[in-house]
Amino acid sequence: MKRFRNPTLINKILSALAVAVIFAALVWISMKRIGLNLDFSTLFEYKKRLFDGFKMTIIISFASLIFSMVLGMLIAMGQRSRILVICYACRAYIQIIRGTPLLVQIYFFFYIVGTAWGIDNRYIAGVIILSIFEGAYISEIIRGGIESIDKQEYEIARSIGLTDIQTFRLVTFPILMARILPALAGQLASIIKDSSLLSVIAVIELTQTTQEISAANFQMFENYIFLGLLYFILTFAVSMLTKWLEGRYKHENRD
Amino acid sequence: MKRMAKIIIMSALSVLIMIAALTGCTASKANNTLIVGMELAYPPFETKDTNGAPSGISTDLANDLAKYLGRPVKIQDIAWTGLIPSLQTGKVDVVISSMTITDERKKTVDFSDPYAHSYLALLVNKKSNVTTAADLNKKGIVVDIKIGTTANTYADKNLTNATVNVLASENACVTEVVQGKADVFIYDQLTIYRQNQSNLDSTKAIMIPIQDKEDWGMAVKKGNTELLNKINTFIAKYKSDGGFEKLTQKYLPQEKKTFDSLGFPWFFD
Repeated sequence: MKRFRNPTLINKILSALAVAVIFAALVWISMKRIGLNLDFSTLFEYKKRLFDGFKMTIIISFASLIFSMVLGMLIAMGQRSRILVICYACRAYIQIIRGTPLLVQIYFFFYIVGTAWGIDNRYIAGVIILSIFEGAYISEIIRGGIESIDKQEYEIARSIGLTDIQTFRLVTFPILMARILPALAGQLASIIKDSSLLSVIAVIELTQTTQEISAANFQMFENYIFLGLLYFILTFAVSMLTKWLEGRYKHENRD
Repeated sequence: MKRMAKIIIMSALSVLIMIAALTGCTASKANNTLIVGMELAYPPFETKDTNGAPSGISTDLANDLAKYLGRPVKIQDIAWTGLIPSLQTGKVDVVISSMTITDERKKTVDFSDPYAHSYLALLVNKKSNVTTAADLNKKGIVVDIKIGTTANTYADKNLTNATVNVLASENACVTEVVQGKADVFIYDQLTIYRQNQSNLDSTKAIMIPIQDKEDWGMAVKKGNTELLNKINTFIAKYKSDGGFEKLTQKYLPQEKKTFDSLGFPWFFD
């Protein structure tokens, strides 16, 4: 197949600009059509609260990412366990968590499980709930990664006399990381967006902050457009990271 | 260079097509249906019957208003924080949703003359030692508020030392007080009275009003004086015709008796 030349820089810039103009025009026309005039200046008053909310969203997302990764690994291993009870428990967990809305889980864990076990701190409860939710997805990513490793790799490892631990350290782990790291980074973007639902139990993160501000200044459109922009900044950064990781670990596809 | 020109022309064209498409399909607004917005989550004022149809005092009021105006009526269920934006964008003509007239809200919408009044009261967990409004603003006291209510404004202004949780639903607030996650839920007298009645073993109600009375008004888009004047005439006529007494007898006969015996002022007095 004929390889395409890389597009020139000026072509890239102009194309990006054209896309931006089209999108901006669409938004602008929609607003004109309903006679909406936006005034973002009132948001400036709330800059401290917005910044605090922004920080809280990042903290909650990262904490949840770490815990859900630990949980995901345990569940992925548990699913491969020869003890049937463990295996079934892990599968049931994944089915239930992935098969029910996060909103239901938040209310259920916070008001029933959390109350029963004395977890009253909203932030701790929020991180636990989000970790349990995302853990199910991450365990599936890890399982997919493990299953994608060629059996030959293990045979080669055994034939050159590696122990089980060495095999894991030198063969399984590096291959696994290369395969799942981009997907994990992508999952972080989901966590960031999913964390907005914690606002229903009054965890004062970005969405809750915006809702509270909207209740006070009634500038719902300005507030939510700005909210979208803030989330986009976060997820766009994550998406760039994902892309970079994909490039970095794509040794096998290099030509 | 040719390709670049092509790209620019293509994008300019697509923008033009989109403008044409968007302006071409403007729906005709000859329809004179009165669209009334309310959050159907505040029984018995705004709620749904067992079939899911809107019902309650405000619904009856909306129907009577439409009858007075000689227009067909359509009630739209909209979440509380979306009500004022719906007026702003013309999605609804009027909001009748037990909305208190406040200076902040007046900046974005126009209110009718008040048609009812309410007072804020407290639902307190039995184990909490809150006994008056003066106990609220202390470190360690947890106060629950429904977002965007006048209690929300009250808490922002007066409860700077207490921990205030702003929640999206009344039920979550009540659950937290029942479970002891929160000490107090601040809301109007009627809701507090009813919630206390259904949770007698875990809560107590403090019905002494914690601030001045709140006036409820119907809201219209800012500048819609024509509709507003008609609404004001309707409210005056409705009052003198005894319409509000009828609504009380239909929806709240028991509560009216209790409020009278406790000496609390009634919504439509």
